[in-house]
Amino acid sequence: MTASRELYWNIHGHGLMYLLFILALAVFAYGFYKKYKLWRLGSQENRIYDVPTRIYKILIHTLAHRRILREGYAGSFHSFIFYGFLLFVFGTFVVALQADFGLEVYKGGFYLGLTLFMDLAGLAAIIGIGMAYYRRYVLKPDGLDNQPDDAYSLHLLLLIILTGFFMEGLRIAATQDPWAAWSPVGMLFATVFGAASVKTLQNIHVVLWWVHLLLAFGFIAYLPYSKLLHIITTPLNQFFSSLKPAGALKTINFEDEGLENYGISQLEHFTWKQLFDTDACTRCGRCQDNCPAYLTDKPLSPKAMTQDLKTYLNDVANSMKNMPTDQGETAELAAASERALIGDVFEEDTLWSCTTCRSCQEHCPALVEHIDKTIGMRRSLVLEESKFPSEVQTVFKNVENNGNPWGVGFADRAKWAENLGVKIMSEVTDEVDVLYWPGCAGAFDDRNKKVATAVVKVLKATDVNFGILGTEEKCCGDSIRRIGNEYLFQMTAEENIETIKSYGIKKIVTHCPHCFNTLKNEYPEFGGDFEVIHHTKFIHNLLDTGQLFIDQPEESYVTYHDSCYLGRYNNEYSAPRHIIKRIGGKIKEMDKNLNKSFCCGAGGGRMWMEETLGTRINEERTKQVLATGVSTVVTNCPFCLTMIEDGLKEHEENSVKTYDIAELLEDKIYCR
Amino acid sequence: MNILVCLKQTFDTEAKIELKDGKINAQGIKNIINPYDEFAVEEALKLKEANGGEVTTISVGSDQTQEALRQALAMGADKAILVEFPNSDEHATAKALAKAVQGMEFDLILGGHVAIDDNSGQIAIRLAEELDLPQVNVVTKLEINDGKAVCTREIEGGVQIVETPLPTVITCQKGLNEPRYPSLKGIMQAKKKELKRIGLEELGLTVDNKVEILEVFLPPQKEAGKVIEGEAEEAAGELVRLLKEEAKVI
Repeated sequence: MTASRELYWNIHGHGLMYLLFILALAVFAYGFYKKYKLWRLGSQENRIYDVPTRIYKILIHTLAHRRILREGYAGSFHSFIFYGFLLFVFGTFVVALQADFGLEVYKGGFYLGLTLFMDLAGLAAIIGIGMAYYRRYVLKPDGLDNQPDDAYSLHLLLLIILTGFFMEGLRIAATQDPWAAWSPVGMLFATVFGAASVKTLQNIHVVLWWVHLLLAFGFIAYLPYSKLLHIITTPLNQFFSSLKPAGALKTINFEDEGLENYGISQLEHFTWKQLFDTDACTRCGRCQDNCPAYLTDKPLSPKAMTQDLKTYLNDVANSMKNMPTDQGETAELAAASERALIGDVFEEDTLWSCTTCRSCQEHCPALVEHIDKTIGMRRSLVLEESKFPSEVQTVFKNVENNGNPWGVGFADRAKWAENLGVKIMSEVTDEVDVLYWPGCAGAFDDRNKKVATAVVKVLKATDVNFGILGTEEKCCGDSIRRIGNEYLFQMTAEENIETIKSYGIKKIVTHCPHCFNTLKNEYPEFGGDFEVIHHTKFIHNLLDTGQLFIDQPEESYVTYHDSCYLGRYNNEYSAPRHIIKRIGGKIKEMDKNLNKSFCCGAGGGRMWMEETLGTRINEERTKQVLATGVSTVVTNCPFCLTMIEDGLKEHEENSVKTYDIAELLEDKIYCR
Repeated sequence: MNILVCLKQTFDTEAKIELKDGKINAQGIKNIINPYDEFAVEEALKLKEANGGEVTTISVGSDQTQEALRQALAMGADKAILVEFPNSDEHATAKALAKAVQGMEFDLILGGHVAIDDNSGQIAIRLAEELDLPQVNVVTKLEINDGKAVCTREIEGGVQIVETPLPTVITCQKGLNEPRYPSLKGIMQAKKKELKRIGLEELGLTVDNKVEILEVFLPPQKEAGKVIEGEAEEAAGELVRLLKEEAKVI
């Protein structure tokens, strides 16, 4: 006898099912269309080019759960539920093939295997749902907020599976299914019914079958009105996610004559994708759990920002409904927005609290893009309103007048390199292979001048033919762009690009990851196509290719602080660790390391702002440094170096020293 | 309320001064609005925002001075006038300004109390004299009520509060306000605002400088401090010797 089971056993009139299915689809389509109309309120943006890469994003982030699994507990229960239901959908598809298309596939070994797998998948999903209940209602982690919809969604999923298992149990009990062993969980449920008569079993089964069906179709209909919509919107959001380098902010095209706004001050200034983000967010709270601003009690939670935008979007849409439609969409939107986007929906302090550390975007399983929204609103404040923390004005003026945020006269920019025998491009006639870009910190900040000097020592120990721009170099523009002064950024960037190009330079080494990121990822959009390398990677290459050698490695214990702009933004975690190991360093990692590294607090232009709200981010990071118990902390970034040194002073900790990775090397290298 | 603001374009405060052929080399130097004049622009804009009216900025200078005027327009001034008269001294500048504002309707003339480049601090004072207007200098707080200006000014060891009828000339000091940063909208609008250029001929003015610059030189380079090593007795002896022979102060 071929293994199988009778489809629609005990069911009469299942034709009604198709009617109900269409009804459920209609309710779904209506809800989805309403959402679609909301997304369309946003402005244009092309997010459908390069489809293969986009499909790949869904494969790794939805199908393979790459980011979801970073959190052990939440990741496992989500995968139990996800893969469980994925198998149910597949099983239902197979049943439909046989029942509706006459393909006799649901039989034999395949039937038995699928039955077994679905049984186990159902069990896994029940366990997953149980874990989810436990986490949400017993453990109550800070990142979760509980809304009725969260409970409804879990109840619905659980009921669908339980009714399914009970039905299976009833069928097994009533039909004495010879293949019951392949449905172990179903068998377990069959025992519940003990010695009930076949008739009773059949009666209960019929009722349950319709209940199960209504629950499943209800699930479909309920999707667009619930967080469950993420089943559709989250993979779509991954598909639509940005394919630009992580470190490149959105550019304002100032030459666009039709440009009416600089930045985001109203709902319709967001792109459709930015509005779509709000429906891909499941409120899982990972962004918030990893946000240095949130964790130091500042009025910023990336999760709340996404949700507040969603609420605002819905509010505006609701009030639009009650208005005459003959004024054009923009007028309507403006009138409908009773609350101002900046000021009411998002407080200015919230916008200024972000360090652009990218932890939120790094850990969001839905690939929500938070930072461009925040910077967009900062741009409106800076470019349209001229409103920003007062200390920032000096920074803008300093960059305008002297090409550096410190405001030191630009004529002294090459002073740090006097007596080091470094070629200055304007003073030599020969070409160089590499341009060393010390950045403003390396050129003007006393502590970081030592780092620039160390980099020069390392470069001079090799055959690398390099030079610096000296007084011709200007601030890369990282801070001012992230503060929101896109105009000043573009002017500065264009000047730098022109200078670099005038010397025919192809390759640039920076020691500041902010310069590195901006030159590498943001300058290409303005015509600056150079090979840009961070000094950690450059030195690593020199060591690997035998152009540089370590003189007597000494064993020592250190901890290494991953900067945001080298790590999360540019994915460079291994080169610096490799160098440390080569010189004999044993790394005692902090709890928050690699892509979970905790920002020093200086990114996003925060270096130049007072930190008056909550506790200080750098002191928090310094605590984490001190917790390792080592006496040396190694960084790769001038801002991090400053912030951690300040943090150590605040903690009155004199025994711990902070070094840039180049400083660790300078006395330990030789060249053959 | 119509306000005139006199402003001067100066070198950036961090500019490195170098001499070339006995003159200050302006090559590569970034120019700014004299910071004290910037207080005057800001104060005028605040008064305009509170009382309405127009703010006109005026400067005596060269082609390049237009940048500073544009910047004031970007901050929010309505009009700008450039009197083309490069290298004028204080006397000639004040004469040119007085002539240029003749016939204009204004309630108040504001300016910085001194320019950071030549530190001469004369222009606004001379202008008030030329126009026969009252003047209050080095003001850190300004209130305009019922056609009167109530000014708080710094004096040695305290403050003085002075009242004067309008129109009047007031010079501004740090502390009066925090000048705004021009928004991009302001910068874009400034491009369309009126910037009138007038030559001396057009003004019908003939005036000569009264001051001639004979020589420009940089202060001597400050030498690094000396640390005298050794035992106290020896070191003291060496110190006396140095004070006598090198510093020649005893």
